[in-house]
Amino acid sequence: MSKPSDLVQGTLDLLILKIIALEPRHAWAIGQRLKQVSGDVLQVSDGSLYPALHKLEQEGWITAEWKLSENNRRAKYYRLTSPGRRHLDREAANWDRLATAISYVVKLKEA
Amino acid sequence: MRLERWLYTVPLRFRSLFRRNQVEQELDEELRYHVERLTEEHLARGMSPAEARLAARRAMAGIEQRKEECRDTRRVRFIEDAVQDLRYAGRTLVQSPGFAAAAILTLTLGIGASVAVFSVMNGVLLRPLPFPEPERLFLLTHSPQGPMIHQPSMADRDYVAFREADRSFEHVAAFSGYNGNLVGAGDPAVISVGRVTVEFFDVFRVPPALGRTFLRDDEKQAGRQIVLSNELWRSRFAADPRVVGESITLDGEPRTVIGVMPAGFNFPRAAVAWTLYAIKLDPHNGFATPIVGRLRVGVTRAQAQAQFETLARHFSNWSGEKLVSGVLPLKELLVGNVRRPLQVFAAAVVFVLLIACANVANLLFARAARREREIAVRAALGASRGRLVRQLLTESVLLSLAGGTFGMVLAGWAVPALLALAPQGRIPRLELVRLDGWVVAFAAGLSLTTAIVFGVAPAVRITRRGSHESLAPGLRPSVRVQERLRASLVVAEIALALVLLTGAGLMLQSFLRLRAIDPGFHPHNVMTLTVDLPESTYPTAERMHAFHSAFLERLGALPGVIDASAVNWRPLGTMLIHGDFHAEGPTSAAADSTADKLAVGPGYFRTMGIRLLRGRDFTARDNASSAGVAILSQAVARMLEPSGDAIGRRLTLEDHPKSEDWLTVIGVVDDVRQWGPAQPLHAAIYQPYPQVRQPFFLRHMTFAARTGAQPVTLAPAMRSALRAVDVNQPAASMVLMEDVLGAATAEPRFQARLLGIFALLAFILALVGTYGVLAYSVAQGTHEIGVRMALGARSRTLVWMVLRRTLLLSALGISIGMAGALATTRLLGTLLFEITPTDPGTFSAVAMAILVAALVAGFIPAQRAARVDPLVALRHE
Repeated sequence: MSKPSDLVQGTLDLLILKIIALEPRHAWAIGQRLKQVSGDVLQVSDGSLYPALHKLEQEGWITAEWKLSENNRRAKYYRLTSPGRRHLDREAANWDRLATAISYVVKLKEA
Repeated sequence: MRLERWLYTVPLRFRSLFRRNQVEQELDEELRYHVERLTEEHLARGMSPAEARLAARRAMAGIEQRKEECRDTRRVRFIEDAVQDLRYAGRTLVQSPGFAAAAILTLTLGIGASVAVFSVMNGVLLRPLPFPEPERLFLLTHSPQGPMIHQPSMADRDYVAFREADRSFEHVAAFSGYNGNLVGAGDPAVISVGRVTVEFFDVFRVPPALGRTFLRDDEKQAGRQIVLSNELWRSRFAADPRVVGESITLDGEPRTVIGVMPAGFNFPRAAVAWTLYAIKLDPHNGFATPIVGRLRVGVTRAQAQAQFETLARHFSNWSGEKLVSGVLPLKELLVGNVRRPLQVFAAAVVFVLLIACANVANLLFARAARREREIAVRAALGASRGRLVRQLLTESVLLSLAGGTFGMVLAGWAVPALLALAPQGRIPRLELVRLDGWVVAFAAGLSLTTAIVFGVAPAVRITRRGSHESLAPGLRPSVRVQERLRASLVVAEIALALVLLTGAGLMLQSFLRLRAIDPGFHPHNVMTLTVDLPESTYPTAERMHAFHSAFLERLGALPGVIDASAVNWRPLGTMLIHGDFHAEGPTSAAADSTADKLAVGPGYFRTMGIRLLRGRDFTARDNASSAGVAILSQAVARMLEPSGDAIGRRLTLEDHPKSEDWLTVIGVVDDVRQWGPAQPLHAAIYQPYPQVRQPFFLRHMTFAARTGAQPVTLAPAMRSALRAVDVNQPAASMVLMEDVLGAATAEPRFQARLLGIFALLAFILALVGTYGVLAYSVAQGTHEIGVRMALGARSRTLVWMVLRRTLLLSALGISIGMAGALATTRLLGTLLFEITPTDPGTFSAVAMAILVAALVAGFIPAQRAARVDPLVALRHE
């Protein structure tokens, strides 16, 4: 349950970028949102989101600022940078191609 | 795109490096927020507050690791580690000041010597010439090779032929230099003048700062125009632009100033003025000068060489010897003679540096053994091996940077001292030697390389062993493997020092033999004054004879002068006429019928201390109206008569002699080493100057005066005697013959001395290294020695044990060093005089010296071993 066993390496980055592309969120909220939209299929273990977020930040795809959260406490909100947005578009297109290709292969009927 | 990302990433890196605390705090806060939300969630699910906190804290357990993962994403780890390593290294070095001082001192010597030699090489050999596109400037030579030819040159007629036919060069120019007498605009002065062809300034592509340079039209009245250097223009003409068009007097002739060159242009040999070179196409006399050319764009040196060789097949053979054609980089003319010595010095300092490295590596090994536990603890706590090696290398780098810094300081002090020691005027371009950016970069690069050379082996070795072994209490760190490595370092040091000492020994021997050579004359207490009589005031031989006689008379009358005389080409001078002679009657079959042709005054042989072997000296009665006479040097006398008794024989220096051209031999004198002690004896024919009728043989005359003591004090009196004879005639030079002879051996002396300093440095460092290793192994082996003593070993056996090891190491080092010396001393080849590069005497003397010194170095630790108290030794651990 706590292991993101089904998450292909690198897809976590794509998911994070996509989620904060809609609106800036803090890490906890990103985790929650991920669970929610994927119908609890995709889960990340407690904390493994953080190295991923920090890596994206250090690479310049996302940037962070401290704001008051919904429960009125200081939290670190992440949002996409403009290079990050372009990066997301590229990665999403890549993912589409890959997914389509894989689903074609999976759906092959035996002759 | 990339740039836009840097907008975000660069500030982040800076924050990670310089606001580390704040970044950490934020990381803390971010994760704390996570835990709080988690707790809240658990509470919401109905857990008791205690349970919720426990669950959250359990999640916390993994969080420290997450934090570390987050830190890893910051990409400044490398720098952070380096800073940490540096701090740690600095602290450890401060804690062992003895070790640090020894290592830094050794490195300072090694790096300092290297930087000093490099800065000289950089200035003299490496810096480009101060002309546009200097790499396309080449010298053309078609001349015999050998010790007599000091510079590449070509006969005038070959130059003219080549200038017509050549297609490889944009321009080719002939040039030569001489010392001219400048009169007017201040006291008469001797200035360095360049004689150049019209193309000269085009070859260098340096336009005049004022006026113009030479044109083809000027050739019709060659010598009537003069171009001034900026320096001369400033010093003698107060930088007055109206000087162009003015007339000045050089060598007694009026010349029109046509232009002034920009500052810094002083080619060749520090010329301060230029006149047109009059090409001489005389088929009998070969006038040869250096030729400089600028290669066309797109033509390679090899192509130019090939074309030159093709054309050179039609050139004349002007010297009778085999001629070599070549296209040489211009720098060759300037630095060709000093390249080999500088290379030898460079090789010598590399050796010194390698020995220094070996010593520091030895120190590190000794220290590493003491630090094994510390390293083991750090390894056990999770430091990776790479991390530990890096830490140790950081220490090495810190040491060598300190050594490099002090080395720079040492070089800054040593280079001027070195240059002061160097023979005056023998090393070109010395004014370019300075500690510039290149030298600093060299020192920095050298320090880093050095650190790696001496640091890697100890660092790798010490981190290799398993940690459990070193941590076990009571177990002494094993030292066997290290001992072997350290022993091989000692062998290498001894070998390197032996090679250097052998080289220095050969140079010293060579210098001593050179000094012991009898030059054929006695330079003691002889002062000379040279004049160059200008054609304008002294057009005929008679006028010059009158000058010579008048001046000689005044010289002989000066108080303190014992003998005074004159010679046109003095020994060890810069000029000489060497040519054919023909004898009457039979001559020895193997006779070489060429000799130096010298004109002298009466009493010349007495003044110069040249021995008169037979017959008589010239007297005042051997004058223009009496019968022609000659005195032969021994070598010429033997050509005429194998017994050497050639008195009464007749010979002539002319190819088509008239009856008055025949000279009767009246005396025989010793041969003189005219070109210097390292050069062969010269056959010479002396004539009394009043009987020499060709003006060319009389213009350049050196007057010599021998005194009882203090010849230098004679100089002012000689000058005023000269003024009394001709007030417009400056002395071209005044030198003591002793200084002249000293200068001829100055270079070998300097080379021997410098190489000796390096060899001594290497020798001391190698001995210190040998001593260090032996002393250390005795100290390490105290326990073992104690056991042996307790079991009854006698102290003599123990001394022998250490000495045997010393003998083994030095014997190995000596044999390897001998092989190395045999292979490398050949490099000294041309620098050695009358000694072969493999001189067995020098080789065995150096080997013995090293063996003895090594045994002395080994004896002290051996004594210590013998004095070990077994009781103390067994309690050693």
